[in-house]
Amino acid sequence: MYSSVLSVALVGGDARVVHVEAAVGRNKEGFRLSGLPDTALREAKDRVRSAITASGIEFPHREVTINLAPADLRKRGSDYDLPIALAILAADRQIADMARAVIVGELALDGKVRRGGSSLGAAVIGSRLGIPCLVSREHAAQVAVVPGSEVHAVETLSEAVSLVSSGLQAQPTVPEGGESDAPEPPDMRDIRGQSFARRALEVAAAGGHHLLLHGPPGGGKTMLARRLPGILPGLEERHAIEVALVKSNAGLGDSVSYVPPFRAPHHTATRAALVGGGSGMPTPGEISLAHCGVLFLDELAEFPRSHLDALRQPLEEGAVVISRQGSSVRFPARFQLIGATNPCPCGYWGDRRRPCTCTGPGRDRYRQRLSGPLLDRFDLAVHVKRVAADDFKGGGGEASAPVARRVASARDIQLARGAVNGDLPDSLVQELPISGTARDLLLRSLQSSAITARGVGRVRRVSQTLADLDGTDVGEEHVAEALSLRGGW
Amino acid sequence: MKPLLPGDPAYPPGLNDLEEPPPLYIRGRIPDGPCVAVVGTRSCTRYGVDIGESMGRQLASAGLVTVSGLARGIDAAAHRGTVTVRGHGVAILGSGLDHIYPRENIGLAQSLVEHGGAVVSEYPNGTPPDRWRFPARNRLIAAMSVAVVVVESRVTGGAQITAVLAAEMGRPVFAVPGDVDRESSAGTNRLIRDGAIPVFGGQDLLDELSVLAGVDARPVGLNGPVPAGGLDIDDLPDHWGCTIKEALVRLGRLEASGEVRRLGDRILPAIRD
Repeated sequence: MYSSVLSVALVGGDARVVHVEAAVGRNKEGFRLSGLPDTALREAKDRVRSAITASGIEFPHREVTINLAPADLRKRGSDYDLPIALAILAADRQIADMARAVIVGELALDGKVRRGGSSLGAAVIGSRLGIPCLVSREHAAQVAVVPGSEVHAVETLSEAVSLVSSGLQAQPTVPEGGESDAPEPPDMRDIRGQSFARRALEVAAAGGHHLLLHGPPGGGKTMLARRLPGILPGLEERHAIEVALVKSNAGLGDSVSYVPPFRAPHHTATRAALVGGGSGMPTPGEISLAHCGVLFLDELAEFPRSHLDALRQPLEEGAVVISRQGSSVRFPARFQLIGATNPCPCGYWGDRRRPCTCTGPGRDRYRQRLSGPLLDRFDLAVHVKRVAADDFKGGGGEASAPVARRVASARDIQLARGAVNGDLPDSLVQELPISGTARDLLLRSLQSSAITARGVGRVRRVSQTLADLDGTDVGEEHVAEALSLRGGW
Repeated sequence: MKPLLPGDPAYPPGLNDLEEPPPLYIRGRIPDGPCVAVVGTRSCTRYGVDIGESMGRQLASAGLVTVSGLARGIDAAAHRGTVTVRGHGVAILGSGLDHIYPRENIGLAQSLVEHGGAVVSEYPNGTPPDRWRFPARNRLIAAMSVAVVVVESRVTGGAQITAVLAAEMGRPVFAVPGDVDRESSAGTNRLIRDGAIPVFGGQDLLDELSVLAGVDARPVGLNGPVPAGGLDIDDLPDHWGCTIKEALVRLGRLEASGEVRRLGDRILPAIRD
């Protein structure tokens, strides 16, 4: 006798259907599990048997075979306990054949349903297939925010059995309101002085430009970077779901947030932690967790060269492909990069009060670590000076809300064109309209070697963003300001 | 290489004030005109670098010859200021001319020579840069100059020695005041208490020099878009009386036309021929 239940596996930035098949044969008692399970999943046998027995249901005294299909997809974790248990009972004809539903959940030995790592995936697959899903009560309300989903919460195996037997005749879980567990991103109001860096941050947000902040320690580079998500437009629904799936895949919870993510990995992070990977099933790295949001790399020059090189493909393609024997997984990784770096190893070169203890060649070597292709990705580079004591007096600066409004209207103009300016390749940006005087200024700066031929593309992109902020075509003043926002490194 | 001997018409007259004027090995040419020494600590702050550079710039623009020791920090800043305005400067080494130290300043030494200045040493080729030779070198810096300005200095250090030697030889000693709680200015502040003349910048120094040392200097134009000492980008809006956006637009235009240049976050007047 045979039965099949739908469950889910998180692969890359997406969820995929997994069929949990159970067959109860005529041979003597046994329990087999196939379909590329990891250790946690292989141990499902013990949990399922105990949970079924503890729920007062009889475990079949015959040969039980479980297969997780597609068989070539690696599956991990304890999420399949509940679907396995239900599939066994259905195959043993103890309950009716399964109503179409996506089911995930870990079982405790006493039959309780624990939180499962892919509840969000279940809700997403459920809504995609137009069928309900069954998840643990613990985060049913969280994942019920997925649009078009019908989420049923269960607390125990017996509850699940009766729910299924009733043909899922129950009120679905009400989605939780708001984003209770997502803290508001910090506000621009807290930044005093730093008018130059503030302007650069606004432009970076408006055009999706990668931004390099350099300056002595204590200047507030981190503080500035953390305020970027607060002035970026909120995520579209499909992006919010995609981001949440990646987060869920990394085991960081199932909440769906519309605030762009902010990730700040330390420079001692491993390459796998940064770009994704790890043993067995690849897990998403920081660059994928920063998908549709901000990746902040503090002390950029301290990151190993190989890590920085590994960022180049994702920066180019908006995704990273992790290859494993026989298969490869693609994680989304379209992030806005904010790099911060000290001007020299000791950090005080350029500071007006603290002496720099580095030698000239030491400073040059430090800078050379950042040279090359990665540095070319930064359309904007600004110096963040140490805040003088008197900057702390007067009131704070402009709050995030009005800045965010300007950013949003500039973004709307760009989306009508098809892409944010930061993603425009040099060839496309050259085709956008630009006034004659603006072109003259570009030529003049090329001639006076204020910029290089390579820098022209960057200046064009930034001028376009400045024009979009003003709601006009690119004029001479936009090119002039873009020139000011580029340099210093 | 043959040394320039005392008594030669080209021999710097100031050095005759020394008890035993040494023979000099020279690369380049010791420029005509009064020399002013600009010295200070190696572990300097940006404040010191800015002031040192602007001193070098303004003294050299005024037609004076700047003299320093090619060390890291203030010395290098003063030399750099001098060459950025293509002025005349002299670097006096504590080692042979083939042992320029620190090596990072080899390019700077070359620029000094290219712009009509000189690199000078009392030691023949092959002499390594031993620590004990640097104070000895300082007596040449002091003697050669009509005045010494200490830009930034700790309580102990070569610049203090130069200042004391200069005072003993009757040269006026100037010092740039700094924060009283900052170690790197403790030496200059103490010099001021001990009788050095406080100076507040290149122009101020030029004014003082014309009174004290009878040095006639051409006035330096200060009507550019940014002051000679430069400005932080963040201070541009205040200086120009406009918004940050307008300031960035103006800065971009000035940079494109080469009227200003950028050094880190500092906006400096362009180098003019």
